[in-house]
Amino acid sequence: MNAASPAGTIDRAPFEYFLIHEATLLDARRFRDWMALFAEDGSYWVPAVPDQESPFNQASLFYDDRELMKTRIDRLEHPRIHVQTPPSRTAHLIGNIIVEQADAEKGEFIVGSTVIMVEYRDEAQRVFAGRQHHRLRRDGSGFRIVQKRVDLINCDSAFEAIAVPI
Amino acid sequence: MRNGQTDEIAKLVEPGRVHRRVYADPDVFELEMERIFGRAWLFVGHTSQVPNPGDYITTDLGRHPVIMCRHRDGSVQVLLNRCSHRGPKVLNERKGHAARFVCCYHGWSFDTDGRLVAVPVPEGCGEGFNKDALGLRRAARVGEYRGFVFASLAASGSSFEDHIGPMKGSIDDLVDRAPDGELALDVGMHRYIYNGNWKLQVENVLDSYHVPFGHASTVNKDGVQFARREGDQKGAAVIETKKQQTSSSWKDRKSYIVGNGHGWTSNTTLDDGKRSSAAFDEYKRVLSEKVGAARAAEVLTPRLHNSLIYPNMSIMGLNIHVRVIRPLAVDRTEVTIYPVRLLGAPESMNFGNIRLLNVTHSASSFVQTDDLESFIRAQKGLRSSLTDWVDISRGLGHEEPDRELNATRGLATHEMVVRAQYKAWLGYMREAA
Repeated sequence: MNAASPAGTIDRAPFEYFLIHEATLLDARRFRDWMALFAEDGSYWVPAVPDQESPFNQASLFYDDRELMKTRIDRLEHPRIHVQTPPSRTAHLIGNIIVEQADAEKGEFIVGSTVIMVEYRDEAQRVFAGRQHHRLRRDGSGFRIVQKRVDLINCDSAFEAIAVPI
Repeated sequence: MRNGQTDEIAKLVEPGRVHRRVYADPDVFELEMERIFGRAWLFVGHTSQVPNPGDYITTDLGRHPVIMCRHRDGSVQVLLNRCSHRGPKVLNERKGHAARFVCCYHGWSFDTDGRLVAVPVPEGCGEGFNKDALGLRRAARVGEYRGFVFASLAASGSSFEDHIGPMKGSIDDLVDRAPDGELALDVGMHRYIYNGNWKLQVENVLDSYHVPFGHASTVNKDGVQFARREGDQKGAAVIETKKQQTSSSWKDRKSYIVGNGHGWTSNTTLDDGKRSSAAFDEYKRVLSEKVGAARAAEVLTPRLHNSLIYPNMSIMGLNIHVRVIRPLAVDRTEVTIYPVRLLGAPESMNFGNIRLLNVTHSASSFVQTDDLESFIRAQKGLRSSLTDWVDISRGLGHEEPDRELNATRGLATHEMVVRAQYKAWLGYMREAA
């Protein structure tokens, strides 16, 4: 990845559209369609401490490859998932989008954005917020996610059960 | 109840049932803080969390904020995290390193053994001012076994050896898996919190009865759970699909009690001959090299599933971790899950275990979250005073002695372990401080 590439001059619109589309799928609980946005080697990572360097040598809230993502989604669709009875309703807001790195030759980009997710379930509403980074790979006219990393501002706090991806 | 009359407390526990007030009555909770968490041996932390002098972690024992730290002489200290001057919590990070512990308010500073070292403007101190008497208060008693540090805030009571002795085998079972014979709790933690009483989590760790129904969402069409252990090709058979019955491997699992509220469950039958991966095979090789083939074979034959060291700590043998339960209020509890790093094991093996724990026992896991939902719903139901009793009678009268293990044995789908926990609970609660 060439940090010196003129990422700032890149048209933000396709990336913005992609991130909004992703958020829409999550809010609609279309988890399989959401998973299809990820590359075969894609991963979804929510670190458990600020500035976590690696998902391998310490605990993370989420670190799903495609296989674990599929197990997670099989469960989300299972009729007896108690922690989603009733299901969560979520509203994602994505903003402050910046294409931070671009390698036009390889067709890979790192896009930073701020995410706020409000979740309502079972008479209680709560807020998740943080900065997220999508490593995207160009795929035809669209993109596939190589890695989505969400750094929650309260990542190292104690959480009540989290059932849906952020 | 405010006075904690012994008669009244004793009425809350009967042979096969407990009164809902043990979960829902704030006065009972107050008494638990005093009589159980104020004096029982509680797990504090592991020596690997404070490897060097000046390293510390902070936690709470019941209502009391404490520091566990390493002093210059190598000893591990458990100190009350409360300035002896005007009361502020002295250390406020969950972990860190400091040569001196300095209070933010007036700058009193304490050594890593709690000794008061200096106070600003000492000439203002009163006549009888005695620095030696104003250190951070020490836990009354501290005990350690293979790095596991426990403390009791009461000067008297059963000895560390009497309390932990029968559970040393459970600690050994975990620690001996490390080729170097040592483990470390230094690979992060998961923390979750729920609106329910602390005992709901304590009772759950040895409860094999709930698995097929409570964790139905983790079981595939063939009745098999997802693989939860590094190197396993598939998970445990939980449900027999044809008859929709609980699989025999779960029904036959045993549980054991040894007094003091402690207990464990025998291992889930997995197809262990088939457990293999590059990481696991390398681990087996290293372990055999270090401890010999015969001992390695013993260590690799799973014996324990979960263990409970009453009242606040559990060791899980399948998705290896150490779990600490911390009551916050009668209806609010925080739990910390420490992944375990087995020293001497290949990095890839430890990494595999850490990753699987993310999906089994984190706040966002596939397994733990359904348990949390059950705890929350239990707390909601137990608010009702129209029905007083909670039934814990499964297997009552079917307990049998296990002379080889010096324990009492029952089926893990029975509720013997819960009854044993309430026996210990009553033992603490009946005795005025």
